[in-house]
Amino acid sequence: MNVTVPMPNLSLVVPEILMVILACGLLLVDLFIPKDRKRVVGYIALAGVVVVGVVTAAFWGKMAQPATTFSGTFVLDRFALFFKEVFLFTTGITILISLKYLEIEKVSLGEYYALMLFCTLGMMIMVSGADLIVIYLGIETMALSVYVLAGFMKFDHKCTEAALKYFLLGVFISGILLYGITLIYAATGSTQLAQVAAVIKEKGLAKNPLLVLAMFMLAAGLGLEIAMAPFHFWAPDVYEGAPTPITAFISVAPKAAAFAALVRIFYHGIQLLEPQWQILLWIICAVTMTIGNVTALMQQNVKRMLAYSSVAHAGYILLGVLAANQVGVQGIAFYFFAYAFMNMGAFGLVIYLRRENIVGDDIDDFKGLAQTHPLLAVIMVVFLLSLAGIPPTAGFVGKFLLFAAAIKAGFYWLVALAALNSVVALFYYFRIAKAMYMQSPEPLPQLSPGRGLVLALVVVGVFTLFFGIYPQPLMSLAKDTAHTFMMFLS
Amino acid sequence: MSWSQLFFYVFAVLAVIMSLMVVTRRKAIHSAIFLILAFICFAATYIVMNAELLAAIQVLVYAGGVVGLIIFVIMLVKAEEDEVRQTHGQWIIAAFIALILVVEVAFVFLGNLVQRTGNLAGKMAQAGGNTEAVGLVLYTKYLFPFEVASVLLLAAMIGAIVLAKYKLER
Amino acid sequence: MMVLILAVVLIPLLGATINGLFCWFTKRKAHIIAVPAIAIPAIVSLILLARVLQGERFDQVLYWWIPLGDFRVPIGFLLDELSAIMITTVTFVATWIHVYSIGYMDHETPRGYAKYFCYLNLFVFFMLTLCLANNFLLMFVGWEGVGLCSYLLIGYWYEKASAANAGMKAFVVNRIGDFGFMIGLFLIYKHLGTLLFSQAFASAEQLSVGVATLITLLLFTGATGKSAQIPLYVWLPDAMEGPTPVSSLIHAATMVTAGVYMVARTHALFNMAPLSMEVVASIGAATALMAATMALVNNDLKRILAYSTVSQLGYMFVGVGVGVYAAGIFHLFTHAFFKGLMFLTAGSVMHALHGELNLQKMGGLIKKMPITGWTFVVGALAIAGIPPLAGFWSKDEILAGAFMGGHRIIWAVGTFTAFLTAFYMFRLIFLTFFGEPREKHLYDHAHESPPVMTIPLIVLAVGSAVVGLLALAPHGGIVGFLNRTLGEAHEAAGHEGGLTYILMVISVAMGVAGVVLAYFMYMKRMPDPVAMARNFRPVYTLLYNKYYVDEIYFAFIVNPVVGGSRYALWKFVDVIIIDGAVNGVGRLCRLVGGGLRYIQTGFIPDYAWMILVGAVVIYWIGRLF
Repeated sequence: MNVTVPMPNLSLVVPEILMVILACGLLLVDLFIPKDRKRVVGYIALAGVVVVGVVTAAFWGKMAQPATTFSGTFVLDRFALFFKEVFLFTTGITILISLKYLEIEKVSLGEYYALMLFCTLGMMIMVSGADLIVIYLGIETMALSVYVLAGFMKFDHKCTEAALKYFLLGVFISGILLYGITLIYAATGSTQLAQVAAVIKEKGLAKNPLLVLAMFMLAAGLGLEIAMAPFHFWAPDVYEGAPTPITAFISVAPKAAAFAALVRIFYHGIQLLEPQWQILLWIICAVTMTIGNVTALMQQNVKRMLAYSSVAHAGYILLGVLAANQVGVQGIAFYFFAYAFMNMGAFGLVIYLRRENIVGDDIDDFKGLAQTHPLLAVIMVVFLLSLAGIPPTAGFVGKFLLFAAAIKAGFYWLVALAALNSVVALFYYFRIAKAMYMQSPEPLPQLSPGRGLVLALVVVGVFTLFFGIYPQPLMSLAKDTAHTFMMFLS
Repeated sequence: MSWSQLFFYVFAVLAVIMSLMVVTRRKAIHSAIFLILAFICFAATYIVMNAELLAAIQVLVYAGGVVGLIIFVIMLVKAEEDEVRQTHGQWIIAAFIALILVVEVAFVFLGNLVQRTGNLAGKMAQAGGNTEAVGLVLYTKYLFPFEVASVLLLAAMIGAIVLAKYKLER
Repeated sequence: MMVLILAVVLIPLLGATINGLFCWFTKRKAHIIAVPAIAIPAIVSLILLARVLQGERFDQVLYWWIPLGDFRVPIGFLLDELSAIMITTVTFVATWIHVYSIGYMDHETPRGYAKYFCYLNLFVFFMLTLCLANNFLLMFVGWEGVGLCSYLLIGYWYEKASAANAGMKAFVVNRIGDFGFMIGLFLIYKHLGTLLFSQAFASAEQLSVGVATLITLLLFTGATGKSAQIPLYVWLPDAMEGPTPVSSLIHAATMVTAGVYMVARTHALFNMAPLSMEVVASIGAATALMAATMALVNNDLKRILAYSTVSQLGYMFVGVGVGVYAAGIFHLFTHAFFKGLMFLTAGSVMHALHGELNLQKMGGLIKKMPITGWTFVVGALAIAGIPPLAGFWSKDEILAGAFMGGHRIIWAVGTFTAFLTAFYMFRLIFLTFFGEPREKHLYDHAHESPPVMTIPLIVLAVGSAVVGLLALAPHGGIVGFLNRTLGEAHEAAGHEGGLTYILMVISVAMGVAGVVLAYFMYMKRMPDPVAMARNFRPVYTLLYNKYYVDEIYFAFIVNPVVGGSRYALWKFVDVIIIDGAVNGVGRLCRLVGGGLRYIQTGFIPDYAWMILVGAVVIYWIGRLF
C-alpha cells in the first residue's frame, strides 16, 4: 500500500511553531533560574512574544489572499493575523503587569509564563482553524491553560474556588460544543468549514433541524469564553477570584479568540443559516447587554463590576457579528484592540492599588485617588471614558463602528437598546470616577507598582487616547481584515 | 438474521441491562463496576460493526481510564461502604432528558437527516482495515489537529504538575 | 505652513499636558513650562500673520476622523485673514496674561499653581482650535473645550461656594446656548451634506431663506450663550468669581468673543438670512445698552468691567449684524487689548487691597500705584472712544456701518451707549484712583504690584493706545485686510466723506461728554450722585438689582425646573420608576432560578442549570420567530 503524505506548507505556521518552541524553551530555562529571580523568565517570555508578534506582522503584506495548509485544516488570512496580534499584544501587557504582582503574591513560578504562552498558542490556533476539530483543539489548549492560571494562587480559597468553577463549567460547555460539532458532521459529512458550507448550499440544508441545533450548541460552546448571557455566570466569580493580571487577560484574549472563532464558523461555515442565527444572536445580544449593565450597577467590587461590564461589552460586539457586513467585522476587529487597551488598563489600575492586605478591587480603594495620585486618576478616567464609549477615546470609535454596522444592517431596535445600555453603563463607570474625584482619600501606604506595570499603563493609556483622536491607522488595518474576510461571501 | 446481527442485539441488550444496574445500585463502587461492564458491552457492539479501533479505544479510555478515575475518587472520599439513596427528585429530570435524547436519535435517523458518506466498509477495506484507515487520515488529513493535540496534552500535564506539585505559602 | 499651524495649536496642549500630569514635579516652576508654551505660538502666529498678509491662505484637512462611507468627520485647519487676526490676538494677550499670573497667583499652593497654568494652557489650546478649525465639528470641539476650561477656572477656588455656584451657572447657561448651536450643526449637515466651512459656504446659496434663517438663528443662540448676550448674559458677571487673570483672558479678551467670531466665520450663511442679521444687530444693541446701564450703579470693580464686556460684545454683534463683519472683528481685536488691560489692572488693585472690590472703599490709589492707575486710564480712554486710542477706531467703524446700512435706531442706541460707557468707566476711575481715600486702612496697605505684573500692564496699555491706528494702514487698513475674507456686505460703508466725519465727531463728543459728566459727579459732587440716586430711586433700584433678571429667571425657569425635577422626576421617575425598576429587576432575578445573587454564591450545578434553562428558553424563543 502506497501512502503519500502531502508536505504541508510549514511557512504559514511559523508563528505557532515559534510559540511552541518558546513555551517549551521557557520550561527548560526555568530549571536554571533560581527561585527569587523568576522575573527573568517573564522577561524572556515578553521578548519572545514581541518576536512572534513581529514575525506574525510580517505576514500581513503577503496575505491579501487567504492561504490554507495541512489539507485545508489551517487557514491564514488577515483576519487570523489581526486577531493573533490582539492576543500577542494582550499577552505582552499581561506579562508586564504580572511581573511585580506575582512577587507580591509570592507565586513567582516560571510555569506561569509558559502556561500563558500555551494559552496564547491555543488562541492563535483557534483563529486559524478552518476545521471544527482544529478550532476545538485550540479552545481546549487555551482553556486548560487558563483554568490553571486562574487557580494559580493555590493557598487562596477564593482563587481555587474560582478556578474550579471555571473548569467545571468549561468542561460542561466543552461537551456541548463537541456535541454540536458531531451534529454538524452528521448533517454534512464534514467538519471542514468550507466543505460544510458547500454541502449546505448544494443540498439545501439551510433549514435542517440538526444544523440549527448544532449552530445553537456551537454558539453555546463559544459563548462561555465570550461571556454572553446565559453563559456568563462564571465570569463574576472567576474575575473576582483569579489573580488580577489573569482576570485582565481572561477578560480580553479568550473573549477575542472565541469571537473570532464564532465569526469564522458562522460566516464561513454556516452562513446560509443566517436567518436562524440572526434570531438567536439578536436575543442573546439584547439579553447580554442588558444583564451585564444592569447587574454591574449593583456591584461594589471593581473586578466584579468590570466582569459584568465585560459581559455588556460582549453584547455590543455581538452587534457587529449580527450585522454580518464588512463594517461589522471591521468594528469587531477594531473594538478588540480598543477593548484590550482600556480593559487591560482598568485592571492594571486595580493591580496598581494592590498592597499589603488590600486587593485594591473595592470601589472604596479608589477614594480620593485624584488627590493622592492625580496622574493615576487621570489615566483611569481615560480608561473609564473609553469603556463608556465617550470621545475622544478608542472605545468610542469602536462602538461607533459597531453601531454603524448594525444600523446599516437594519437592527434599529437593537442599536437603540445598545445606546440606552451605554447610558446605564455611564453610571457605574462614573461611580469609580466619583470615588476618585469627589471623595477624600484614606491614608495610604506607599504603592510600589514596579516598572513593568507603569510601562504597561502608559502604553495602553496612550493608545486609548491616540486611537481615539487618530483612529485611521488601526481602522484601515481593520478594514483590510474585514475586506479579505468578507470577500468570499459574496 | 445473520450471526453478526444476533451478536449485536445480544450485546446491545446487555449494555442496556448493565446501564440500568449502574443507576440502580445503592453502593457507588458497584455502580462503577457495572459501568465497566456496560462499556465492554458497547465495545463488543462496535466490534460487530467492524469498528475494532473504536472498540479498543472504548475499553482503554473509558473502561480503563475514566472508570479507573471514578473508582479512585470513590476510594479517596471513602464512599465504598456508603449506601446512596435518592432523596431529591433529580431522576425525574434525568429521565426526561434521556427520553428527549432517545426521541432525538429516532428523529434523526427516521427523518434521514444524516449525511451518509457512502460505502464506509468498502473504503476501510481499501485502506487495509479500520485501524489503518484511521491512522491514514490521522497522519495525512488530520496531521495538524494531531500535532495540536500533543501540545494540548503537554499544556494539560504542566498545568496538573503546577497545581499538584508546588507547595505555595503566603 | 501646516507645521507652523500645528505648532501653534499643539504647543499649548503640550504645556498643559506637562503641567497637568507632572504637577507634583513642576509645582511652583509651572510657569517655566506654561509661559513659553504660549509665547512660542504667539511668535509663530505673527509669522503666520505676516504670510497671510502676503496673500497666502491655508485650508487643508489633516485627516478624517472615523472615515466610514459617506460619514466622514474632517480634522483640519483653516488659516485666512480672519483666523490669523484671531490667533494673533489670542496668543499675544494670553502671553502677557500668563506672565501677569506668575505674580498674581503666587499665594496659591504649589499644586494649585501648576493646575492653574495647566488649565490656562489648555484653554488657549481649545481657543486656538476653535479659531483655526476648518469645519464645524472641530470648531465645536474647541467651543466646548473653552467652555469646559472656563468652568474649571471659574470654579478654581471651589471651596468657595459662590465660586462653585458661578462655575455651575456658567456651565448650565452655556449648555442652553450650545444645544441651539448643536441643532444648527445638524441642520447644516442635513441640508448641505458637509461640515467643512469651504464646502458649506460655497453651497450656502442653495439654502432657502427659511432654512438659512433657522440655521443662523440656532447658531446665534449658541453665540448668545458663549458671548453673553440677551437673554443668556447672566453667567458672565458671576464668572468674576474666578481668578482675575482668568476673567481677563477668558471672560473679556478671548473666549467670550467666540460667538462674534463664529458669526463672522459663518457670514456666508448669515448673508442668506436678512432676518437673522436684523435679530443679531438688535440683540447686540439692546445688550450693549442694557449692560451699560447696569454698569452705571454697580460698586463692584470687576462686575462693572464684566458688564462693560457684555456691553462691548453687544457692539461687536451690532457690527456683524449690520453686515460690517470686519468692523465687528476689529472691535473684538481692540477690545481684547483694552479690556484685558483693565481686568489686569483691576487684579493689580485687588492684589494690593487684599481682594477688596468695592469702589466705595477705594479712592486716591493713583498715588500708591501709579503704573496701575495710569494704564487703567489709558484703557478707559480707549474704551470710551477717545481718539486716537484703539476703541475709537473700531467703535466708530461699527457705528458708521450701522448708520450707513440704514439702521438709524441701532446707531442712536450705540451712540448713547458710548456716552454711558465713558461715564461709567470714568466713574470707576474717579472713585478708585482719584479723590480722597475712603478707607484709610486699606489705602495705607496699598502698594504697587511687582514688575512681573506691571510690565504686562504697560505692554497692553501701549497696545490699547496704538492698535487702533492699524485702521489707517494702507489698503484699507485692518478692515480692508479682514474684508479680503469677510467681504463687504454693502459697498462704500464709512467712505462717504463728510457724513463719516460728522458721525465721528458725534461719537467722540458723546465719549467726552461722558467723561466730563463723570468728572463733575464724582470729583466735584455736582450733581451729587447720592442725591441723584435718592431722587431717581425706582430707576436706581431697578438698575442696582440688574433689572431683576436673575430673579425672573429663577422664578420662571430655574424654580419650575428644579421643582419639576424634584417632584416629577425625582419623586416620580426616580423613586417610582427607576427604583421600582431596579428593585423589580432584583426581585425578578431572585425569582429566576433562586436569584442572581443566590446563584453567584457558588453552586456549580446551579450555574449549569441556569445555562441549560437559559439556552433552552432562548432556543424556543428563537423558534417562535
